[in-house]
Parts: sequence; C-alpha cells; structure tokens
Amino acid sequence: MIYSEVSGTLIKILVSKNQIIEEDTDLLVIECMKMHIPITAKKRGKIIDIFIKEGDLISEGDKLLEVVYDF
Amino acid sequence: MSWKKELEEKLIREKLSENLGGNERVKKQHDSGRYTIRERINILTDKSSFHEIGKISGSATYDENNDLVNFSGSNFIFGNAKIDGRNIVVGGDDFTLRGGSADASIREKHLKCEQMALSLQLPLIRIVEGSGGGGSVKTIETTGRANVPEVEGWNLVVESMGTIPRVALGLGSVAGLGAAHLACSHYSVMVKEKSAVFVAGPPVVEQIGQKLTKNELGGYEIQLKSGAVDAAVDTEEEAFNSAKKFLSYLPNSVYQLTEQLSTEDNPNRTSEWLIDAIPRDIKSVYKIRPIIEELVDKNTFFEIGKEYGKSIVTGFCRINGWSIALMASDPYSYGGCWTSDTCKKVQKFVDLAETFHLPVIYLVDCPGFQVGLDAEKKGTIKEGVRAMSAIWQTTTPWLSIIMRNCFGVAGAAHKRGSSYISRCAWPSARWGSLPLEGGIEAAYKSDIENSNDPKAELEKITTRLNKLRSPLRSAETFLIEEIIDPRNTRKIMCEFADLAAPLRKIGMTSRTMRP
Repeated sequence: MIYSEVSGTLIKILVSKNQIIEEDTDLLVIECMKMHIPITAKKRGKIIDIFIKEGDLISEGDKLLEVVYDF
Repeated sequence: MSWKKELEEKLIREKLSENLGGNERVKKQHDSGRYTIRERINILTDKSSFHEIGKISGSATYDENNDLVNFSGSNFIFGNAKIDGRNIVVGGDDFTLRGGSADASIREKHLKCEQMALSLQLPLIRIVEGSGGGGSVKTIETTGRANVPEVEGWNLVVESMGTIPRVALGLGSVAGLGAAHLACSHYSVMVKEKSAVFVAGPPVVEQIGQKLTKNELGGYEIQLKSGAVDAAVDTEEEAFNSAKKFLSYLPNSVYQLTEQLSTEDNPNRTSEWLIDAIPRDIKSVYKIRPIIEELVDKNTFFEIGKEYGKSIVTGFCRINGWSIALMASDPYSYGGCWTSDTCKKVQKFVDLAETFHLPVIYLVDCPGFQVGLDAEKKGTIKEGVRAMSAIWQTTTPWLSIIMRNCFGVAGAAHKRGSSYISRCAWPSARWGSLPLEGGIEAAYKSDIENSNDPKAELEKITTRLNKLRSPLRSAETFLIEEIIDPRNTRKIMCEFADLAAPLRKIGMTSRTMRP
C-alpha cells in the first residue's frame, strides 16, 4: 500500500490498474506548498488499485495506491 | 597453600553464567532469529576484547553445608571492549532470563555500566531487549512489596547525553524502561520485523480497547516515522555495523575532537552536473541525496533519521577528511517546508553537532514553515522557534549554502544572528519574507482588482518583481556575501572544513542536549 506522506491536491495520476511499475517510476503528482511533488515507486511492483482521482484533496496518511511487489 | 580452589569456584560460577537462561530459552531465542546477549557482544566487538565486569553477579543457591548448588547470572551484562580498535563500554539485556526484566536483574549493574562509560569518557552502546531492567507485574511478588516508581541513576543518563556518544540497539521487543533507554540515545536502531518498541506492549494496550500486534503497535515503520527511533535495518549484524559507523564520526567524549582522516577524494573536485541540478521551473523538485553524495568525500554520507521530519535530511559525512554534521532541505517533502517534525529533528541534530563539536554545513532550500490547518494543529510555530533557538545557541562553525528557496522565519533559520557564520548562495537562490507566488495577489490586491484586466495586471506585477528578486541584486547590496558556481561547491565546503577544524573547542556545552 502506498500512503501519502504530504497533504495537498492530487494533480496527476501517471499509472493505471494492473500496470507494472519499475523502481523510481513517478506514480502520482501532488501539489503541495505550491510545488509539484511526485510519488515514486520504491521498488518494482504492480498496481492493484487506485483510491484517488485527480483534483482530490489529500491528507498525510491517506491511502493512495495498492501495489503488490511479489507477483 | 594456593588460592586455586577459590579460583576454580569462580570459574564454575562463570561457566554457569554463560548458560544464560538455559538451553530451552536460548533455543527459543535462536529459533526466533535473534542472538543471545553474549553472541551479540561477541559479534559487535573486536575479537577477545570484551572485559566483562561482574560476570559472577547473579543469583546463587546453596545446600545446608553452604556449598553451591546452582548459579544463575544477572540478566544485564556489561563491560569494556573495543570496536575497530577503539575503546567503548557495552551493556545489554539477557532476554533469556526473565525477559530482561528487573526480576532477574541487579540494579547496581545498570548504574555501574552508566558510571563506567561516563567516568572513563567512552562511548556507550546499550543493547536493549525486554523491559531493560525495569519492573514487571510479578515484581510485587518477588519483592513482597510495591515499589514507588523511580529511575535511579537517570541523572547519569542525562549527564552522559551531554558528555559521551550513546547508541542504543533495540533488538527484540522493547518496553517500559527498555524503551526509555532506546529513546535516550544519540542514535538508535531497530531490526525490521524482529524489533518492536512501546511504552507498554499489546496485552496492556488491549486493556484500553486496542487490539494490535507488536508490529502494528511499535514496529519499525511506526517508530521511525514518529522519530522515537533513528534507523531500522534487516539484521542484527547490520545494526552493529550501523552503531560502529555512527560512532566513527564522533569523538569518545566532548573532551576530545575528531581527527582528520586521509581521503583520496580531491578537495578541488568540481561537479559539472550541479549547474543543472536545480530546475528552472520553480514548481519542480529535485533529489537532494545525489547532490549530497556528490559534494561530500566519496561514500562518507551517513544519514540519521531518514523517515522522520523528512523535509530536512540530516547526517554525518567527511569533508576533506573532517567529520561534519550536514543538513539539507529535501523538496520532495512539503517542498522543503519545515513541518513540526522537521523542527524537532533540526533541534536534536543541531544539539548533537554542538555537543560533539562537529561543524555544520546546511544546504538550504526552505520555502518557510508548512502552512495550513494541519501545521497549526501540530504546533509548528512553537517547534519552529525551538529549532531556531537551538541554531542560535550553537557556537560550532557553520556554513550555509542557499541552493534555492529561503523564505520567512524558517528560511531565516539558516543562520544564527549571534555570531559569524560562513554563507554563500547558488545562482538559483530565491529569498524574501514570503514567496512572490504566495503573496502578490494579497499585497497588490487593490491594483489587481481595480485593473481593467486583472489577469494581465497580475502578470505585469509578477514580471516586474521577478526582475528585482535576482540574487545578484541582493549581492550588490551585500545582503548575501557571495554567489558561487554550483560546480565549485565542494571546494567551498572543503575550505570551510579546513578553516573550521582549529576553531573547535573541547568541553561540555553550557546547555547539554536532551534526548
């Protein structure tokens, strides 16, 4: 599971369900303190679910994506 | 007539002491993937260097002739040893004997261990598992009375925080006084999935309606993010190596200074890519850790508290062989804004540098404090002024390099107002009381509202003000001392480290650090 570490507005979703993601891939972009902050993959995995949509207000700790790493 | 008989009896007790809590308990410890305390000390320290103090202190039983029947050692083991050829004091809990709790402990051993490290002015490594010699519910039955809680010897712990490096390794479940010992350190480490740290464990917490596993309650993810613990690693061996690495940047005590190590890294090394490191688009972020790695002596950056207060990266490094405390903003977390946690992290780190006389280098990209309701609820301004005050109270040599943003009160905390610091800026630097992007609409509200084309008026004002905020214009009036070529930053840092080294002064600081 990937949770938000910052609060802000989700401005871009760069992945889709079932997509394989590589380490360091940008997954989402959150606008926070007027900066565009990418959420990146810490390791290779697969997107199982997306819990947010563009424009959503995000709080620290919000569930963003479900990712599996062993598949 | 010799004294061989007495020595033989001593050896019998020593041998029994090495049995720890017995084969069954030792097997259980191993089966759960954890070493015993004696194995831990052996792996941590240089071969045969451990000189145990009080090895035959423990609990003995005798027959009617006063001959020894059995002996069980205390569940706290300590002594002096060497790591990488350097003297240290190490003490640790034996979890195989009553889970490390006071029931099988001798309180004086804990105190002696603390006294030993403090008096000999040697780093202390505490290996904690269980309650760290604290009491348990059963204590009332073993002692026949309830005790009034006190933590005897805590004065030694407090004094040592301002005198010697304290490292704590939590290598299993750690609760109560054990958790206090882990938290009361300059650097603490857990082992992922095997360590858990809490004030009270799951059975107690369940009584207040929270049914949680050890990991859910006090696993590494919880404790790193909370800032209670500094690092988590995969194995106990890695925990020992982390302790060694941490100590390698510090003197044995505040009465010594770290020495310059030889380095093969050229102090005049330039880094071409740093000219492009900061994006021109002010909304874009960049990764700070590769920049840090580029600037310090190769492979010497040792990060502390990576998962906590993440808009500041803190750690030790070597610059031209000198031990340096390095702080750097990380725009990936709140754009580099100081959150409440960031402020607490800065306080601790700056105090650590001041205590052990490490010069500070701060790579600045701070747009200010975090703003918004969350920030207010967390008392950001209160923690912010505490962080600023910690910086103002430093006397250690200080270099700030402003790489990008430097705004507001948090931005101002890149320097102390009380004494000289070295300072320069990259050409990408931007500063002010408030970022223009956040304040033009408010400051020029009437001009914009009264305009026939508010959008065009806003753009016009923005363009006008942008020209004024060039760092070169600030340098013309000496508001910033120097604008440097980012490619030459390492050279500036090495020059600073060389200049700072003879200015370091031994001794305790007037205000010793708290954990």
